[in-house]
Amino acid sequence: MRGHPPALRLAGLSKTFGPKRAVDALDLEVPDGSFFGLVGPNGAGKTTSLSMAIGLLRPDAGRAEIFGVDVWADAPAAKRLIGVLPDGLALPERLTGRELLRFTGLLRGMDRADVDRRADELLAVLDLDGAGRTLVMEYSTGMRKKIGLATALLHAPRLLVLDEPLEAVDPVSAATIKVILRRYVEGGGTVVLSSHVMAVVEQLCDHVAVIASGRVVAAGPLAAVRGGLSLEERFVSLVGGQLPEVGELTWLAS
Amino acid sequence: MAGVLIRMKLAVLRNSMTGPRAAQMITGGLVGLALAAGVLLLAGQHYPVAELRFDLVAAALAVWTAGWLLGPALFGGGDETLRPEHFALHSFTHRALATGLAATAFVGVAPVVTLVALAALVVAGVTAGLGPAAVAVGVLAAVLQLGGTVLASKLVTALLGQVMRSRTGAALAGFVSAALLAGTHSGWVLSPLVVEALRTGFPPAFSAWVHALPSGWGLTAVRAAGRGDWLTTAAALAGLAALGVACLAGWSVLLRRRLTTRRASGRPVRASADRWVRGPVTAVAARELRTWTRDLLRFHLACFALGYAMVFCLLPLAVGAPVFLPWTGLLFALWTAAVSANLYGEDGTELWGKLMIPGAARHDVRGRQLGWLLVAAPPTLVLTIAFTALSGQYALWPWPAALVPALLGGGAGVTVLVSVLRPVPMADPHRRGGNLLDNGTDFTQVLLVLILTAACAAPAFFAVRLGPVWAGPVVGVVSGAALAWLLGRVAAAVLGRTAPELLHLLRTGSRPARRRPSLPLVPPRVTAAHRVRPQRPDAWLERLGLDLAPAGRRAYVIVSLTLCWVPLVAQGVVPALMLSGGAAERSWFLALHVPDGLRWPVIAVMIALGLVLLVTGLATGLYYLAKSRVRAAG
Repeated sequence: MRGHPPALRLAGLSKTFGPKRAVDALDLEVPDGSFFGLVGPNGAGKTTSLSMAIGLLRPDAGRAEIFGVDVWADAPAAKRLIGVLPDGLALPERLTGRELLRFTGLLRGMDRADVDRRADELLAVLDLDGAGRTLVMEYSTGMRKKIGLATALLHAPRLLVLDEPLEAVDPVSAATIKVILRRYVEGGGTVVLSSHVMAVVEQLCDHVAVIASGRVVAAGPLAAVRGGLSLEERFVSLVGGQLPEVGELTWLAS
Repeated sequence: MAGVLIRMKLAVLRNSMTGPRAAQMITGGLVGLALAAGVLLLAGQHYPVAELRFDLVAAALAVWTAGWLLGPALFGGGDETLRPEHFALHSFTHRALATGLAATAFVGVAPVVTLVALAALVVAGVTAGLGPAAVAVGVLAAVLQLGGTVLASKLVTALLGQVMRSRTGAALAGFVSAALLAGTHSGWVLSPLVVEALRTGFPPAFSAWVHALPSGWGLTAVRAAGRGDWLTTAAALAGLAALGVACLAGWSVLLRRRLTTRRASGRPVRASADRWVRGPVTAVAARELRTWTRDLLRFHLACFALGYAMVFCLLPLAVGAPVFLPWTGLLFALWTAAVSANLYGEDGTELWGKLMIPGAARHDVRGRQLGWLLVAAPPTLVLTIAFTALSGQYALWPWPAALVPALLGGGAGVTVLVSVLRPVPMADPHRRGGNLLDNGTDFTQVLLVLILTAACAAPAFFAVRLGPVWAGPVVGVVSGAALAWLLGRVAAAVLGRTAPELLHLLRTGSRPARRRPSLPLVPPRVTAAHRVRPQRPDAWLERLGLDLAPAGRRAYVIVSLTLCWVPLVAQGVVPALMLSGGAAERSWFLALHVPDGLRWPVIAVMIALGLVLLVTGLATGLYYLAKSRVRAAG
């Protein structure tokens, strides 16, 4: 056994869809106890990499380890350690939020009384207890993110993997979520969060990796990656974007 | 304004007259014209009883009108060539917009075909020799009735469109489509009644009903004019006109609601404490029970299974044959299995949650089996016991006692296994459209499950047939339990091994790749988010892989797989069972109407014919399915 394995380690991870190489021999290391931001343009391979890292998508090549446990060789042991909030996937839609938490906890083998107590607390903290009789199907996008976060936290995992956790979440809820995540990291947990909102990553994360075209183009402590620039400027220079030419549509201003 | 809207609709129709769309429209028009010609024939024929002409025409027009009222909601969502929403920001009053759009509803193939059918009012007046006044009334009545029918269709479709999003609508749609399908499978049991009526005339009550319905008012006006009863003529014509105006007014109110209000978000659900839910398996079962009651599609399918079993088994009572009654429960169990073998496909990408929980695959499969049994078993038992008691055929008891446990156990096993092995990807529940029938059930899958589940009952069947009286029930219980356990175990093992691949399939589906063969460049998440929902009328052909088949083969597959059950089961297996059981109810079984020596040969021929249709239909279908998958992959 290694002395202190990283919370998440990806080595040579690759995935090809048809002719497109979505993730190309990606290496990444997330230190234990860090708040890690994953940024990249649309289609850069963030979601694909995270899916392979947590065992939802089988990689063509490479390894993914969670606290030293190989995700694809010993899935049960690895999955006990993580909580996940994916983006754009369905939840059990015809359950209320409370039922979703209860059944998820029971399926994890937790004690009924314990599950109900934790669910009550999570719903109250995330301000979802008012929606006790509403099906998840009827939830707004922000509420979906919050109930997703609650299911990810329910079994007190050591690593949280969150794909776009703050997208379409209103500012008040976003503030709540940020407080919860900060406290979680202070308490010894590790968070990996993907986003394409630089301000969020700059505000929350202490480590960051920039992904473009399926590869990590920069990674490390936030200050080191920024190199004196704002994260946005550094990001645009790394992925090679450019500003549009303005000068047309003059009639629009008249 | 109506003129502009009509020109717009004509332009849209003209532009869409290309390729398969045009072929579809022309085929539809030709089929409609053939049916209209049939109505005209009914009106113009010679009959032994004078009353028959009018009864038959009135009945035909009633069916025709029912098609206008129910057809759009059940099979296509109504004529939305011009969507009212497109005009919502214009400065029309809602009444003016409703009138204009209603006027466009008269432009198209269907109204023209209907007008041809309604010419039967004129033809009936002429051939019955009711005089020139009656013929003139017939012309007026045809026009008024066309108006009433089209406007009523608008109103009812809009109403059903709102109801269909509720459980009432899901149940209604389930029962109606079940009645239609079961009717095609066992409807000819009514043929003796019809043959008798064609000789001696329909009962007076039938005659009174078909004339009293609004679809019969035009005919009533024509006949009254022939008798010189002008008061009745005027009343019937005024009634048709008033009906049209009322429907237009009603539709205009619904249109305003549609354009100015949004659908209220779902009603609150009843939360229950679930004291019985203690562990992982019961948690999944409780969740499944909620899906059956809360998911419109599942509820719809359960109603379909119940409706099919009831209509199929109760219809023969119309000719005094209670032979099918004791089998109603079994048929319900069989159909419930057939419509619930896409458990993972229906739940969509939420499978990721199970993947994240160690050991959840086994609990999930066992929980779903328990849930299925909790849904299927009670109605099966109640139907079997109650209807056996009603029919008084107590001597049959070893059959249900053996077959019920065998089928229920087999169903619990086959549904989860097929759900894992052959899932049909669907849009995620929260992204589905409102039309239940758009969420096309996979025909091949339904057939597969029907056959496999029925095969699970084979040991029990032979035990009753060949063994001592106690053997059937014992074998039924043992084989049912063994199959449920074994097939569930296999399903759990497969799910545990291939869950990421299953999730990938449910995420991306195979359809988008087929639709844009050169563009699988987008990563799965993007594809899933933009997944094309099955809304085009021919989407189900694509799902079956039949979009590549030539029209003739396509028709053959659909017709053979729909009708093979008549010779195979209704004219083969059922009379075989009855002959071996010693029952002598001839009813509508061809084999029981022929001399003794020919009975078994006729049954054999029927079964062979059914098998040929089934196997060739299935083989052709699977061939094109494989072909389209190859094309999708390549």
